[in-house]
Amino acid sequence: MTKSNERKLTIARAMAEATAQEMRLDPSVFVMGEDIAALGGVYGNTRGLLEEFGPERIRDTPISETAFIGAAVGAAQDGMRPVVELMFVDFFGVCFDAIYNLMAKNIYFSGGNLKVPMVLMTSTGGGYSDGGQHSQCLYGTFAHLPGMKVVAPSNAYDAKGLMTAAMRDDSPVVYMYHKGLQGMGWLGTEPAATVHVPEESYSLEIGKAKVVRQGKDVSIVSLGMGVHNALKAAKKLEADGVSAEVVDLVSLVPLDRDTIRASVAKTGRLIVVDEDYQSYGVSGEVIASVTEHDISVLKAVPRRVAFPDVPIPFARVMEQHCLPNPDKIVAAWREMSAMQPA
Amino acid sequence: MATDITIPTDLWEEDEDCVITGWLVDDGAAVEEGALVAEIMTAKVQYEVHAPAAGSVRITEEADAVVAKGAVIGRIE
Repeated sequence: MTKSNERKLTIARAMAEATAQEMRLDPSVFVMGEDIAALGGVYGNTRGLLEEFGPERIRDTPISETAFIGAAVGAAQDGMRPVVELMFVDFFGVCFDAIYNLMAKNIYFSGGNLKVPMVLMTSTGGGYSDGGQHSQCLYGTFAHLPGMKVVAPSNAYDAKGLMTAAMRDDSPVVYMYHKGLQGMGWLGTEPAATVHVPEESYSLEIGKAKVVRQGKDVSIVSLGMGVHNALKAAKKLEADGVSAEVVDLVSLVPLDRDTIRASVAKTGRLIVVDEDYQSYGVSGEVIASVTEHDISVLKAVPRRVAFPDVPIPFARVMEQHCLPNPDKIVAAWREMSAMQPA
Repeated sequence: MATDITIPTDLWEEDEDCVITGWLVDDGAAVEEGALVAEIMTAKVQYEVHAPAAGSVRITEEADAVVAKGAVIGRIE
């Protein structure tokens, strides 16, 4: 069988394509970060931009996130639309005043007189033995503070549309991409993230979740890499006669609580999969979104499959032991169904 | 007539093997000559593999396979 008109891109390529297309339209968009120009980004998501747009708009910076993210906030307030890269989300510590107190709050502090239209893109996730300061997700840390939108794509189609939307947004958007979905082999590539992507520019609405698999017995809600684990678990469950629905959150802020609630109202059961630490995070927020709204829809206690509350181990066997995976999701279902009244 | 898709021999100097980090087309997909079909990586640097001819892609080495310079990883039929 011959297929035609196919155009599969990795998330890295989809992000670069969206950025290039927006830069052609809007001269106020520029990109800054460590190794984003000549190298094209350590995750490949700015490849080809320096060649097309030159060093004035594609700017390699020194290793000071404090300086260049602060500079981006100023540029955004002054009419530009900067896209800045925090190479690993784990490096947020040195630039959190710029992010939490300036980027997230200056629209409010100025009574709406200033706009802060910037994109902070940053890599998340582990699984390739890079230690506890290069492997975190920190979704909850960023989604917790008001003033920033937060997105986390699971595939290249969403990645392109969200990147365009982020650059066009007048509020700061934190764009969190998982290293294992970028199509860079050494980071452990998930092939299902590489999907058909239309060439023309398009935008996805920030704050809309997607039901990526229909089911009737349990809702598995996740984001980023977790969506792929959820889909694999759903296939295993299907072999046992269990019909699992999978919800891809796509955005964390705003959180699409309606889609989560509608799915759980249909299935009556909820498993949340999150590669971020379990406590005080996305998984708890998703469960609260359901239980605060209508607890009567639940046929079982919700479960979560998240990273345990320990620093991420460097040792491969220990890290893999901690990470969410399809088998843990299936096990969560089994515990859940064993506890249910007959 | 089929044309082999091979790992280019002039992208990096050393005789290092590379890994196929991903195919950007499905098996059986129709491609134009010169279309980007796969990405390969060696020493954390990624390179592109392009279709040597127009036709249907047949993948013979899957993603994550470790292959040498000049190796046949698929063909265009």
